[in-house]
Amino acid sequence: MGLPMFSSSMRWWVAVELIEQILHEGAQRVDELEVYLFSGFSVSARLKRHEIHYASGANQQGLSLRVIHKGHIGTSATMNPETWNACMDAAIASASLATPQDWEGLPGPENLDPTPVNYDPDVTPDAKTAKTLLSELVEGTKSYPVEITSGSAEVARYTGTLANTSGLCYQDYESMVSVGVETIVGQSTGYEYDASWKMDIDPRIVGEKAAYLAHSSQHGKDIVSGNYDIVLSPIALAQLLGGVFLPALSGKNVHAGRSRLASLQGQQVMDRTLSLRDDPFHPRGLSSCRWDGEGTPTRIVHFVENGILREFAYDLKTAYRYGKKTTGNAVRGGHGGSPTIGTHTLTLDGREENLREGRVVHVNDVVGAHTANPLTGDFSVELSNAYVLQDGTVEFPVRKAMLSGNVFNVLMETGGISKDTRVVGSMILPEIQLKNLAIIGS
Amino acid sequence: MEGIRYFDVRHVTGTVTHIDIDNTRVESAGTSFVDRAIIRILGQKGWGILAIDSYTRPNGRSFEELLKRGGSLASLTSQEVTLADVPGGIIPVPALREDPGDVHLEEKQELLSGIEKGARIDGIKSTRASYIERTETVRFENSSGEEYSYSLCRSGFSIMAIAEREGDMQMGYVRKHAIQDFNLRHRQECGNVAATRAIALLDARAPRGGAMNAVLDPELAGVFAHEAVGHASEADLVQEGGSVLEGTIGRQIASPSVTIVDDPSLPEFGFEPLDAEGSRVGRTEIIRKGRVQAFLHNRETLAAVGFGHAGNARAMAGEPPQVRMSNTFIENGDSMVDELVSECRSGILLKGSRGGQVDPGRGIFQFNAEYGYLIERGEVGEMVRDVSLSGEILKTLHAISLCARDKKMHQGYCGKGGQSVPVSDGAPHVLLIDAVVGGSGTH
Repeated sequence: MGLPMFSSSMRWWVAVELIEQILHEGAQRVDELEVYLFSGFSVSARLKRHEIHYASGANQQGLSLRVIHKGHIGTSATMNPETWNACMDAAIASASLATPQDWEGLPGPENLDPTPVNYDPDVTPDAKTAKTLLSELVEGTKSYPVEITSGSAEVARYTGTLANTSGLCYQDYESMVSVGVETIVGQSTGYEYDASWKMDIDPRIVGEKAAYLAHSSQHGKDIVSGNYDIVLSPIALAQLLGGVFLPALSGKNVHAGRSRLASLQGQQVMDRTLSLRDDPFHPRGLSSCRWDGEGTPTRIVHFVENGILREFAYDLKTAYRYGKKTTGNAVRGGHGGSPTIGTHTLTLDGREENLREGRVVHVNDVVGAHTANPLTGDFSVELSNAYVLQDGTVEFPVRKAMLSGNVFNVLMETGGISKDTRVVGSMILPEIQLKNLAIIGS
Repeated sequence: MEGIRYFDVRHVTGTVTHIDIDNTRVESAGTSFVDRAIIRILGQKGWGILAIDSYTRPNGRSFEELLKRGGSLASLTSQEVTLADVPGGIIPVPALREDPGDVHLEEKQELLSGIEKGARIDGIKSTRASYIERTETVRFENSSGEEYSYSLCRSGFSIMAIAEREGDMQMGYVRKHAIQDFNLRHRQECGNVAATRAIALLDARAPRGGAMNAVLDPELAGVFAHEAVGHASEADLVQEGGSVLEGTIGRQIASPSVTIVDDPSLPEFGFEPLDAEGSRVGRTEIIRKGRVQAFLHNRETLAAVGFGHAGNARAMAGEPPQVRMSNTFIENGDSMVDELVSECRSGILLKGSRGGQVDPGRGIFQFNAEYGYLIERGEVGEMVRDVSLSGEILKTLHAISLCARDKKMHQGYCGKGGQSVPVSDGAPHVLLIDAVVGGSGTH
């Protein structure tokens, strides 16, 4: 079973023919038209306890259209590309309602390297691969005496073609392999996952880590309420950055009066040692790319350099409206969605330190990060797999405690970052030490 | 067919219409099209599942080919799945009060603009209003020859207002969703409510965290029921060994004033006329007078775990069904809200919700209020902001000392296993003794 069980329904030349037909028709009706045709095939398998409960194959496809006519922008999408006519009618109707804005045209073609940046032909979406990943995952969990509650493995390939009436036509391929597993012993739980565009993840290590988390968090003790130095894992850091700091860097939120960072360009917004970038060429990035969701060549965007706020993220629409330049930060929400402002591969650099020196609370994950106030940055979340460390040695696991603070404020002072980084969704992050945060324990 | 014990197909087609108005500009508005099917095949052991975008039901041999593909996926599974025999059948979808499909997009946009205008008062710096309308037709068939179809419309709007003063910003929002109705008419006051709250929050302080008594309003108490009990009662988690409610049937885990129910047959936002695997829907009393009575089930978990009935399998279009809550609520008690506040003496009154999360295996949950008021000497006092609560499932429910009799349902979406489904949560006002409140302030 080396080949996909059923391949993507549309061949490349059929896709090109269809896109040409849509562009031809669109050019008669509107000033400009953008077409994004997407298809994907994935195979996944899921564990219930230690056995495979289901195996599934998914054929995804979508067509997303954007029309621009006299400054009016309209969009529509469909999961059935054959019905593109209705989709175009809907996009044109959508444009007629939108408030017109300054618009200086969709990008034309540039001489970009067409080699995909996150595609590995060895990532084969077949059930056998998924099954092998799961059995290695299960093996890994046996390192500690815990039970698996659930787990999953997924192998996927996607292809997307972006074309417009300015003559641009780019095709891209992506691959993805991911595993995740939840473990439990008594009332102590652990969760670990990994994802890559290459066949380079090690499900055994993932299983072992999940088992370690549940095992080592047993017999937790109460922590006294007070202020502590905290080490956040990349997972916990990603949750706080993603929910609060990233939206504040969107040019759209900046100009709409929804960003606390709006007036702080050139000022210090993070510890002087920290730099936050969008690096679309990062070799490990799951959504790294040479062009963005609307065909603009991507570049490294320096959001924060040595603590100083430098740039905000723009797409074409927001840039044209506010007299700025696009930073190549258009991303397509979900597969086949319309472009909006986002990031490709967010990275955080800083001063590498031994973060476990002295007395710190190490936090692997938090519960309820999405309830942080996205505007002000205030949060109070429950800790998950947290440990009190003394000079790197676990003194005791924390049974139950809340962590409170303000995302913008806590990033102003750090005790450094770790050397190692990990991929968390579209971010590649280190651990970070934050000073003097409030813990509500007992 | 050989090796295939059962199959079902759930095909969803429909449209999604949205309007986004940002600081009086129509940022985007329009309609997109949905067409996804999920085909589940139960082999000798577990499931093979096919997800197909843009599905046309093939006939004869082509359909058998499709089932065979699913069957070969199923052959890789090792878990022994048994399905309980349960009643199927569809209950009537509530009649459309006003069909949003009959209202022109321009009129919707004007009504939404009216709501946004209501928020643009002095002190407000930014406003954003959005509308979403999802009309779906679901067609279901299974190998027992059962076939059902129905159409359902869910729509809703949200208005957010941001107040700013001397660099300090706060937001207020109102969200309302409805099934089988068009809910944008006569809502202009919602904009004003969001704006007034955002401005008031500029003067509110963050409370100091710690253990204190808390009165929760119906919206927040509904989220509390959802996070603290609902998820842990989903029997797929119980079956996997990932819920602290495993083995608690008959046990008193809450004070006798607490009865918690889930009911997909109620005409609320989480309504389903039948569940995602064709089972009949109905009321489940998860906790009755403080004692655990039942779990929420699909056919598989009912056979494996027992206690309750099937009817809580739910799914997004093109995704495998999972055991999910629908309309979840704490039943009314017999106290007055004033009694709760005076009984609280010193503590906090919490209102609105920014959501919550639970680790059902560990039995720990967290949820967040939009705003609140300090309670001093049994009187409601100063406004506070950004307050979270956390607790332990098996302990905190004993802390509900009083329930009022003003139950109200609120609509929202709930995420699990990468799928988001519409739900409603509800409760009367409740009083929690010694709740763990998280706040970053010193007040």
